[in-house]
Amino acid sequence: MDIGSIHSFLIHPGKSAEEPREINGASVPMSGKLFGMLKPVFATAEEECPHNIAFVPEADGKQKNECRDCLIGYMKDSDLQHGREVAKRLQCVTTHRSGLGLLFLMIGKEASTIKFVVSRFPADSGILAEEKAKGLTVEFLERIFMKSATSYKAAVYSGSSYTKDFWKGKAADKQINSAESYIADYWIRDFLRSDFLTPGEAGTRRLAIAVRETMNRCTNPGVKMDAVALHHLVAGMSSQVVSAKKLLNQFHVPDSTQEQIKAHFPRAKLFDENFSFVPEEFLKHVAIRIVELDNGGILAAEAERFDAVFTREVVNAPANLVRFSTQGRIVDQRFRKVRP
Amino acid sequence: MSSLRSAFAARRAQVLLPLAGCLEAHLKNLFADYPRIDRIAVRAKSVDRFVAKAEKLENGKSNYDDPLSQIQDQLGARIVTFYKDDAEALAAQVPKYFRHIEVRRIVPDSEREFGYEGIHFILFIPADLLDDTTGTTAPADFFELQIKTLFQHAWSEAEHDLGYKPSTVLTHDQKRRLAFTAAQAWGADHVFNELFQQT
Repeated sequence: MDIGSIHSFLIHPGKSAEEPREINGASVPMSGKLFGMLKPVFATAEEECPHNIAFVPEADGKQKNECRDCLIGYMKDSDLQHGREVAKRLQCVTTHRSGLGLLFLMIGKEASTIKFVVSRFPADSGILAEEKAKGLTVEFLERIFMKSATSYKAAVYSGSSYTKDFWKGKAADKQINSAESYIADYWIRDFLRSDFLTPGEAGTRRLAIAVRETMNRCTNPGVKMDAVALHHLVAGMSSQVVSAKKLLNQFHVPDSTQEQIKAHFPRAKLFDENFSFVPEEFLKHVAIRIVELDNGGILAAEAERFDAVFTREVVNAPANLVRFSTQGRIVDQRFRKVRP
Repeated sequence: MSSLRSAFAARRAQVLLPLAGCLEAHLKNLFADYPRIDRIAVRAKSVDRFVAKAEKLENGKSNYDDPLSQIQDQLGARIVTFYKDDAEALAAQVPKYFRHIEVRRIVPDSEREFGYEGIHFILFIPADLLDDTTGTTAPADFFELQIKTLFQHAWSEAEHDLGYKPSTVLTHDQKRRLAFTAAQAWGADHVFNELFQQT
């Protein structure tokens, strides 16, 4: 799809400002070096934006979102005036720590499909070195805008109906994992008034069930040990934006075990989907660890505390013979009709 | 309108009915551990009700230019709980597992009225239920979830049958009697909820 129009706006920090600065904008010509730089940003936006996001409803629960309305306003009338409304939204949430940024609004239409890309390039500084016939001049430059690998932000939306579409899109935010909430929330939550399409508990539950199923169905002892180790590591993890793949890589889970876990996802594609990990939700689904011995013994304890409750010693390593011991007061005994 | 009818009938058979089964299993699995849930059910909208909704006029104008895309309750899910506190507790859980674009607590407009009550969400169909290999996608992105108590559910089912699409127009007295039953259902819900809290 070709780009139909591009507008750009310089965004100064304006959050909590009594008198926000006036926003200057310009149309970007559909040829030349700048266009050449932006064209691939537009063309590859879907691949560049890894986070599936959705607009959230207003606080009163109504099916309405002020940012979606603002973006649709620009999609309908792609001119400087409507683009400035989008720019104002970004200025209102931009702090001095977020700094100066250059906003690009790019829109394309093909048949009945509309594609809209919004991106923010942060300001940086640099040095211009110019070689001349007899010497070199160096100059310090401010306000260099680049697609920074660490703070570039973008979002892309596609659809054909302003009433039914454009509720979800994809976003890139290289700072989303920041522990500082103002950085993490700036682009997706504050500016786009959106959240991840898959809520944290839903994404975490999907992963936890896949890990549990791997543990319960796999016969490979190595994979089971990986699952136990993963449980310990995840139990101590704080809340962060991850995909299942990223989390397993983070803990160096072997590829063979990752494949087993991935096989228990409802769709392979979801293995790569990002969500806000919720440790408590994970532990809900892998709450009890059970070890069964070949002598008929079955040990069960809360997964988090299993190794503290049962002491394990190796009696005969070549024969895989182990002894578990524990002590405590009996508080209950039960019969079950089937093995756990 | 016959082309709309046949297009929806085909979509219903090919996509909505199988998806309704998957969604019902997903919801049951998700809320299996929650107490005092009387039932969880998902239905694909009937062809007649879909066409009636698409054709319905408000102030002489249709609400939908493209009903196949715009009607968001082509898949409707319902969770029926015992008590009002259960309905509220479940409603608090829903946004943890589904992204929503709308939530409404439907109550009568005036404190002098009694009628339909329930909590309604418009939710994205979870990606877990959309098939990778065949590329099957949902006809729309959304489904409707209603959470009601047993009394709210019982009243709305009977009222829908009697009052929503009456073969003859209900008289003033008949409407008053329907409102009276709604008041009784409302009262029963409150009393049972109080008893539940006290015991």
